[in-house]
Amino acid sequence: MLGLFDYVDDLLEAAQEMKNAGYCITVFSPIPLGHEIEHAIGEKKNPLKWLTLLGAVGGFFTGLVFTLGTSAMYPLSRGGKPIFAITPTLLIAYETTILFGVLFTIGGFFLFSRLPFFGKRPNDEAFNIDSFGLMVEGVASDSEAEIGHRLVEFGAKEVKTLE
Amino acid sequence: MADQHTNKELTYREVNEDVVNIMTQTGPMYYLTVALFGTAAVLLFIFPWAYQIYAGQGVTGLNTPVFWGVYLVNFVFWVGIAHAGTLISAMLFITHTPWRRAVARSAETMTLFALMFVGLFVFIHMGRPWNFYWTMPYPNPRQLWVNFMSPLVFDVVAISTYATSSIIFLFFGMIPDFASLSHSMTGWRKKFYGVLSLGWRGTDKEWHVQTKATIFFSSFVMPLVASVHSIVSWDFALSKVPGYSKTVFAPYFVTGALLSGFAGVVLMLIIIRRSFPALKKYITAYHFDRIGLFMLVLSLVWSYLTGLEVLTGLYADNTFENEHLIYKILTTPSMQLFMLMIFSNTILPLVLMSGRIRKCTSAMLVISIFVLIGMWLERYLIVPNSLSRKFLPWMWHDYSPTWVEGSIAIGAFCGFITLFMISIKIFPIISLYEVKEDVGIPMKKGHGYE
Repeated sequence: MLGLFDYVDDLLEAAQEMKNAGYCITVFSPIPLGHEIEHAIGEKKNPLKWLTLLGAVGGFFTGLVFTLGTSAMYPLSRGGKPIFAITPTLLIAYETTILFGVLFTIGGFFLFSRLPFFGKRPNDEAFNIDSFGLMVEGVASDSEAEIGHRLVEFGAKEVKTLE
Repeated sequence: MADQHTNKELTYREVNEDVVNIMTQTGPMYYLTVALFGTAAVLLFIFPWAYQIYAGQGVTGLNTPVFWGVYLVNFVFWVGIAHAGTLISAMLFITHTPWRRAVARSAETMTLFALMFVGLFVFIHMGRPWNFYWTMPYPNPRQLWVNFMSPLVFDVVAISTYATSSIIFLFFGMIPDFASLSHSMTGWRKKFYGVLSLGWRGTDKEWHVQTKATIFFSSFVMPLVASVHSIVSWDFALSKVPGYSKTVFAPYFVTGALLSGFAGVVLMLIIIRRSFPALKKYITAYHFDRIGLFMLVLSLVWSYLTGLEVLTGLYADNTFENEHLIYKILTTPSMQLFMLMIFSNTILPLVLMSGRIRKCTSAMLVISIFVLIGMWLERYLIVPNSLSRKFLPWMWHDYSPTWVEGSIAIGAFCGFITLFMISIKIFPIISLYEVKEDVGIPMKKGHGYE
């Protein structure tokens, strides 16, 4: 079931009750609700930070291997400078740390938000413009009327039953 | 719904409609302006470059010992212009500065096109642009590997990292807006933005990951900004050339880059505000006031570092350094250029101490143009000027750019404006979801709006 709301506090109260009743809920919004939603339905966790860290650390070592490896394979003496020089090696590693960190972060974003996805999924055009939505999953057919009624009581301007 | 920075009554739907109108409703003047700048870019940028490729680098004013001329001045200048976009979107995001929301997208777009010209100027400078891939480290049958000890290679790595990160950051930030636009538009645009939105729906899970990723991106991009222009400065500072070999160059270049970048942002914001009056609701005098303060502080820091650059050179009392300083500060025409630079970057920005001037767009326009000229001159006075007085007098040679170099420099501006104007019609110039955040969260009771 999908409820459309104009006001976030109405939506979050409904979300809280549906979650406490054991339903699986999804909130839709045109803007990030951040702390408001965490306060109402609990903090979400995902391992994006670990993936980002992995990318950054991996990038650092890739930079080291790249520069030091090149120096080892092509040992050219340049003006008495050391073959394995610390400063330029760390500079390149610094940049590759950032590059790989960014690449892993965008990869993680796609992975954990399950994008891109071009198939059909429950949605409403207004969610990306000016409405807020609450999707309640796992509602038995004999409870649909009751849940729909409850959502309207919370302030939903429209309630749809999804197939 | 009251927007805290505009004091105008706005709704989420109105924000959408305004952006859609900016993108879809194009008057004949807009087409004419794009056509004029586009033609100028072809005539002043593409043709002279083609001529240079055909005739060789001899058509430039580059000659022993001045092999770094206007092309590299432009290279450094455009890197600087690129900096403010990332700073506004990343640093001000991390520090929870709300006024950045309305101006961040246009500044990021500016960064992207500025970086494009950064890359182009390197290839224009090098000659034989078809061999551009020789700068990249890759296995090849000649067993040639780039020299990782060279600051020029630091540059390739830093700028390609910066360009990659900026493109990702820009596209990533636009995904929710693409979804919003695909639902607000019709025809090919609906399909186009539908594909670009990648199936974004705005679920709590998507926003959660998006917010976290934005924090990580911002955290990565901030040190990148500092590193990129520091590395650009080391192209010069790691050499022994008088005028180049300065330990202060990294902070000096970063400060200058940010100053010119903010001037570029102001100039561009004023132009788009005048082109699209609907934007006046979003980009207000308050934004110019804040950016003006940044420019004032950066101008003071830049002035201090300029003084430091000159005084440390004098303090060293090195014959070659002294000769370079005399040439830069006391010899015509460098002396006049130096004075114009000081006027543009130090004296004129002092008027930004007045809040009334910071909020006056016409005054900000004039100051920004002067700062941009001043910052271009700063690079000119460093890059070819230092080489002109390189060590022993038998090496001295005055450099003056030819019409090819001048034309390509001006053509780059025309190309930049053309690309930016085209992008306004394809991509949202203000961040829809962030401006909606500025409008507030609709709450029936408690905080927010009713």
